[in-house]
Amino acid sequence: MPIFDPGYQHWSGELSGHGWRWLAIARHGYRIGMKNYLLRIIMLVAWIPAIALGFMLCLWGLVERKSELVMPLVAMLDMFDPEVIANPKEYRAEIWTLCYDTFLLMELRFSMILVLIVGPSLISQDLRFNALPLYFSRPLRRIDYFMGKLGVIGAFLGMVLIIPSIVAYVLGLLFSLDLSIIPDTLPLLAASVGYGIVMTLSTGLFILALSSLTRNSRYIALFWLAVWFISSVVGGVLASVDQEHRRHAAYRRSAEISVAQPNANRPPADRQREQAARMADTRQMRQQEWLAEEQQAAKSNWRPMVSYTANLSRIGQAMLNTDAAWRKLSLNKPAEERDRFLLENLGSQYPWYWSAAVILGLMGLSACILNFRIKSLDRLK
Amino acid sequence: MLFRLQNIVKTYGPVTALNNLTVTAPTGAIGLLGPNGSGKTTMIRTLLGLIPVNQGSGTILDLDFRTRQLDIRRMVGFAPEDECLFPQVVGVEFVAYAGELVGMKTKDAMQRAHEVLDYVGLGEARYRRAESYSTGMKQRLKLASAIVHDPKLLILDEPTNGMDPAGREEIIELSRDLAHNKGMSLIFSSHLLPDVEAVCDHILVLGAGKLLAEGKIQDLKQLHQQCYEVRLKADPAPFAHKLTNLGCKAAMRDDLIIVQLPDGQSPQLIWTLAAEQKQQIRHLRPQRSTLEEIFLTAVEQQ
Repeated sequence: MPIFDPGYQHWSGELSGHGWRWLAIARHGYRIGMKNYLLRIIMLVAWIPAIALGFMLCLWGLVERKSELVMPLVAMLDMFDPEVIANPKEYRAEIWTLCYDTFLLMELRFSMILVLIVGPSLISQDLRFNALPLYFSRPLRRIDYFMGKLGVIGAFLGMVLIIPSIVAYVLGLLFSLDLSIIPDTLPLLAASVGYGIVMTLSTGLFILALSSLTRNSRYIALFWLAVWFISSVVGGVLASVDQEHRRHAAYRRSAEISVAQPNANRPPADRQREQAARMADTRQMRQQEWLAEEQQAAKSNWRPMVSYTANLSRIGQAMLNTDAAWRKLSLNKPAEERDRFLLENLGSQYPWYWSAAVILGLMGLSACILNFRIKSLDRLK
Repeated sequence: MLFRLQNIVKTYGPVTALNNLTVTAPTGAIGLLGPNGSGKTTMIRTLLGLIPVNQGSGTILDLDFRTRQLDIRRMVGFAPEDECLFPQVVGVEFVAYAGELVGMKTKDAMQRAHEVLDYVGLGEARYRRAESYSTGMKQRLKLASAIVHDPKLLILDEPTNGMDPAGREEIIELSRDLAHNKGMSLIFSSHLLPDVEAVCDHILVLGAGKLLAEGKIQDLKQLHQQCYEVRLKADPAPFAHKLTNLGCKAAMRDDLIIVQLPDGQSPQLIWTLAAEQKQQIRHLRPQRSTLEEIFLTAVEQQ
């Protein structure tokens, strides 16, 4: 029993407006999430690519300034073409783009893991403990509730996607000491922040919709893993099968031509040399044809779209304009290597808006599920 | 005036939950009575602006419930009937979060949460997970989270359901204190008539979505003409028999004799008979209706 019990006291403080009410839910969810030890570990690991991004941008700033500190290191690492090293400002936007692209691709995986840890319990636990009457009997609308829950996902993804992008950008600026870098790279910053928002909206709505389907968050976590891995595996397998099919067709054509041109009336040694030369020519020609065919096929290859993460990745590529960066870098390669270089480095080439349509469709479906599952009090028990 | 509803009609498909309900309630402690399905919960949800009505208008705390729902919910504290919890939090976080949802700043909400938890008697359990609380503690936690922002009106929906007598008494005591000593208006919905009688000054009796009876409890419990409660020191049965012989109607209720005197007679008849029989009268007073009688009469008249 307290020594001094003042009893009930009136309170005369100010209440905030309705507009920011969702923030209370987001803040609460963030606090709950941060209590999870595993989540904190994953967050720390997820910052390693961010540190690498910052390091690379700083390094490039020093390369632009021809700093003696880093030039021997860059030469030793042999990461860049001599032409790129000779004119670093000329290739600034491309190098930054590829750094951001690599960073976002790695963070995509970490984001999926973070969503897996944070997301499943966001609504399912409220359903399990019947918390919705407590929410909706307060001055909250359903949209505030959804925004608050989405804000929790946004807070965690923002910490590994958006904030590192901005910090690395500022560090890159500081190490470059050249104001012309801003117009060159500002669209990149906008694209990476925009991609963070797309990731948050897409994964956030999807996991919230799943979370509203059951009171057991373990099922949701399993389903999320299944969506992530199975869709990736199926997309990869379909793409491989398609590629193998084209490769076999090309080999068959090559073999048919070799057999169809027998030599006659020549000495055997000459015949052998001629045959070997013809086969080498044919092989090279077929190789070029196959590369061209692959590039052509990549433009309409829909199979990667089966994978949820591949769709997000394709949108990221389009927002950062990664293909243009690779194409510019490919110009430094010898003409005969260019196609192979592009084929190896360019990602999926199908129109980015196909992936955007898939992601938008999933977001729409998620919104419908949420609308159907989370009722206001008039339809509750 | 606490609230006013005019010609409210609310239907759920073919079921009419509120049927042209018109009611005006004064400030103070209001008891909401009615059998299951009488529309009590629908009326509470209407007052909170949680459901759209088919027809009718009204105000609560002078705000139109059809257009100012969010403002109303800022001024009202509501503890729902069902067991409901914010998951994964300790008691003090639970109450502070409830305050933040209403719009309190984080620091204010936390400070206030400690105060109200002390008030409802959960000070010692404030750092325990809410899921581990007993039923009575959960009810008090809901009450604390409903009053954390110091509402003008507190709505308690079946707050004593499923509680042991001690816990029930604590909730009643807290509700009575808030309503009578702290100037907070209260709507107390319950099936338990003694609880309502212990807390409220005014009652509304609903049945089939209509208002069956309303008024101050003291006014409704009117005196019965020529009817008295008598308790004796000795066995009451022979005395009741003697009263019957004198033309009275006498009925036993527990250890009381309920005596209906004939017209023209006064209670002096009872005193005289007791003196003659050498009986000691311990209790003699005019009979009043009980809340149970008021409730049953209202429901029967429906």
